[in-house]
Amino acid sequence: MPVTPVHEQDDVTVRQIPLAHFVSMGWLVLVLVVAATAAWEWRMRSLGLRAGDLDDGPSHWAVERRKLEAGDHDGVVIFGSSRLLFDTDLDVWEEMTGRRPVQLAMPGTNPRPYLARFADESDFAGLVVVGVTPGLYFYGLVSSLPQFRDLDFWMEESPSQRFGHQVGLWLSGCLAFLDDAYKLAPLVERIDIPDRPGVSRPYLEVWKLSESFAGRQRRMWPRLETDRRLQDHAMRVWLARDRGAPDAGLLTRAIDESRRAVEKIRARGGEVVFVRAPSAGALYERESRNTPRSATWDRLLLETGAFGIHFEDYPELQGLELPELSHLSRESATRFTRAYVGVLRERYVRLQSRAVDGSGT
Amino acid sequence: MVFNSLTFLVFFAAVLLLHRLPIPWTAKKFNLLVASYVFYAAWNPPFVILLWISTIVDWFIARAIYNARDKGRAQRRGWLLISLAANLGFLGFFKYGEFLLQNWQALMASFGIEYVPPEWNIILPVGISFYTFQTMAYTLDVYLGRAKPLKSFLDFSLFVTFFPQLVAGPIVRPTQLVPQFETPRQATRDQMLWGFGLMVLGLFEKVVIADAGLANVADRAFGVGGPIGFADAWLGTLAFSGQIFCDFAGYSTIAIGAALCLGFALPDNFRMPYAAIGFSDFWRRWHISLSTWLRDYLYIPLGGNRGTETRTYVNLMLTMLLGGLWHGASWTFVVWGGLHGFYLAVERWIREKTGVAGDPVGTGNRLALALLTYFLVNITWVFFRAENFEVAARMLAGMFGFAGDAPAVLPTIYMVKSGVIVAGIVAVQWLMRKRELEDVVSRTPWWVTGLVCAAMLFAVIIAQGSGEAFIYFQF
Repeated sequence: MPVTPVHEQDDVTVRQIPLAHFVSMGWLVLVLVVAATAAWEWRMRSLGLRAGDLDDGPSHWAVERRKLEAGDHDGVVIFGSSRLLFDTDLDVWEEMTGRRPVQLAMPGTNPRPYLARFADESDFAGLVVVGVTPGLYFYGLVSSLPQFRDLDFWMEESPSQRFGHQVGLWLSGCLAFLDDAYKLAPLVERIDIPDRPGVSRPYLEVWKLSESFAGRQRRMWPRLETDRRLQDHAMRVWLARDRGAPDAGLLTRAIDESRRAVEKIRARGGEVVFVRAPSAGALYERESRNTPRSATWDRLLLETGAFGIHFEDYPELQGLELPELSHLSRESATRFTRAYVGVLRERYVRLQSRAVDGSGT
Repeated sequence: MVFNSLTFLVFFAAVLLLHRLPIPWTAKKFNLLVASYVFYAAWNPPFVILLWISTIVDWFIARAIYNARDKGRAQRRGWLLISLAANLGFLGFFKYGEFLLQNWQALMASFGIEYVPPEWNIILPVGISFYTFQTMAYTLDVYLGRAKPLKSFLDFSLFVTFFPQLVAGPIVRPTQLVPQFETPRQATRDQMLWGFGLMVLGLFEKVVIADAGLANVADRAFGVGGPIGFADAWLGTLAFSGQIFCDFAGYSTIAIGAALCLGFALPDNFRMPYAAIGFSDFWRRWHISLSTWLRDYLYIPLGGNRGTETRTYVNLMLTMLLGGLWHGASWTFVVWGGLHGFYLAVERWIREKTGVAGDPVGTGNRLALALLTYFLVNITWVFFRAENFEVAARMLAGMFGFAGDAPAVLPTIYMVKSGVIVAGIVAVQWLMRKRELEDVVSRTPWWVTGLVCAAMLFAVIIAQGSGEAFIYFQF
């Protein structure tokens, strides 16, 4: 502890200003930063990034979640993981039913805890579509992405964060380089250098998979549909994440929690539908091995009494393109949406009441 | 509102614009006051009420203490106790309530009494420790006869809430800031540009170094659930040492720069602490506004070094233990403070016995002692960063080679970047040990400084910070 006399700090603070050519310096900084940023923007666009890709994160999700509380919705909400997020074309939904779903699916995230909270806390009495990704839904984790682990963020988001989000949306509409996947840190960490055995490698973190637009409309990133290297990397990432089979107790808890949520939503006049979007190749084989359909999907439907759409059960859901085994290409996502919404529309009168185009074509 | 957010960018542009309008000085100060409340409310609006209460209580009590100066000590002391009770009461309730309940529960359990405390869902108001200390300093100064009550309620309110330093310091004294409110102030062109330069430097420290460069390294090392090896434990701790410095010094630098753009001067809060030689030197360089506050309002009132040797050591230890607790409601922070108190006591004892004062002779000796100081500081950071003693023990076991064949934790790229960045931080601080940034800039060709500044700003832009909160906000 310093022992200098009391109140050395009592003098009015005066800050020394360096003797420098501040105006010249200021102009130099301005010119260099504008030039470097423009070059960076050009480089990012050449990599396939686009202005208007709005990114996605907790603030985007919170905006949509609050619509439900404010009554600003068309009576349809989607929970799920990245598959139902990327594979659902909200424009097609709206075109076929006259209703635009509130998209609350989250990448890398188990929708079950969110569904349970939603059933407990909301008075929503519409249609709840729940995407089931077997490698997430029947397991214990909330999210593999820390930013999606806070179930209360949508209520706790500060005025500053809400305002900043709006400014960020505006900037993302102008600048392509503003993209979570192309920040400085992940770019550095993507350098492929050898690691010690057993270390979880940043190189095998998920790279950019999709583009995001207003209302959390997400589609596969066009470059991923054609770039073999990116596809190979994504497949490597999916196949490296093998959680093994969930134990029997975990599975039972998952299904019990789902049943309780379905019962609560039904009790207030709502309905819940589960959707199993496609996967392919070695990823599908692993999912079938770890979470066999009979022990998971079939049991989920049986015990919850809910209706479900499994891609294997419908001819119109076959032959879809999955460039990296887990998500649909843009064209296939549109086809997939058209097909599964068609099934839902046949089953639920409430989806027919506002339909604009009866054929859905 | 955090400095590294788009919201602050818009907010600060608006404040600057308002501050440069040709309107009376009182109106400008009123604008700054309202802006400061907006700045605070942007985090959680209801908590502005706490600021108002703190402001009103200390405004009236300081005047009451001054008016009772001829009416005996008891009355003045009574007023002071009310002020302390209000300020420390808020701090205790919001910051230490849960901690106290948990410890009460543990104490009862040790007597075999089962006590289940109520669920504690109280949000910690951001920056409460900072503005509480600032307002307490005002009342204590009036009580101790060091200062007279302020005449302008507007100036006092602005002193309590001045937004650049409201939520994470530097903790300023009335005498440092209030006189600046008394006469019209507007930054000159050079002050404004230098202020922007400081803001860029602070943002670079926070967004690029602390958040993008080091945070995930420290998080990975301290978050590991099992034993951690020597290299991983050390690199994780060193990464945290860099992160905490760049996070907090970055905040202080932005605060100083923002105030300067408005024409106000805030004192330095950091002076190359990782180049410190010994711990009294470290505390003259680390969080200077807190260490001087603790010295003036705790250590010296306790008796300082005016009593016996033993009493001096006790005062030193008490001050540092409470300083540790100020940082957070956890015993790990108390241990952090206790270790610093112990280091200071040992250094004092060695200096007393050897009669050595000041820095040692010879660059090699100075460097060796600086590295020893940095080594010991890193041991304390383990307790500061660890969530509990189990994590701290695990890290220390790794750092001292007791972890056995622990599995590897940090990826190679994390090891490389944390090693390079931390070595850079320590080297720069050593080279700048006896220099002021302003002097270095004055002696450097303007285009070199411009290049460096442009590189830092460009790095901030492409790092695309997500507005992560500053670590010290939680204190």
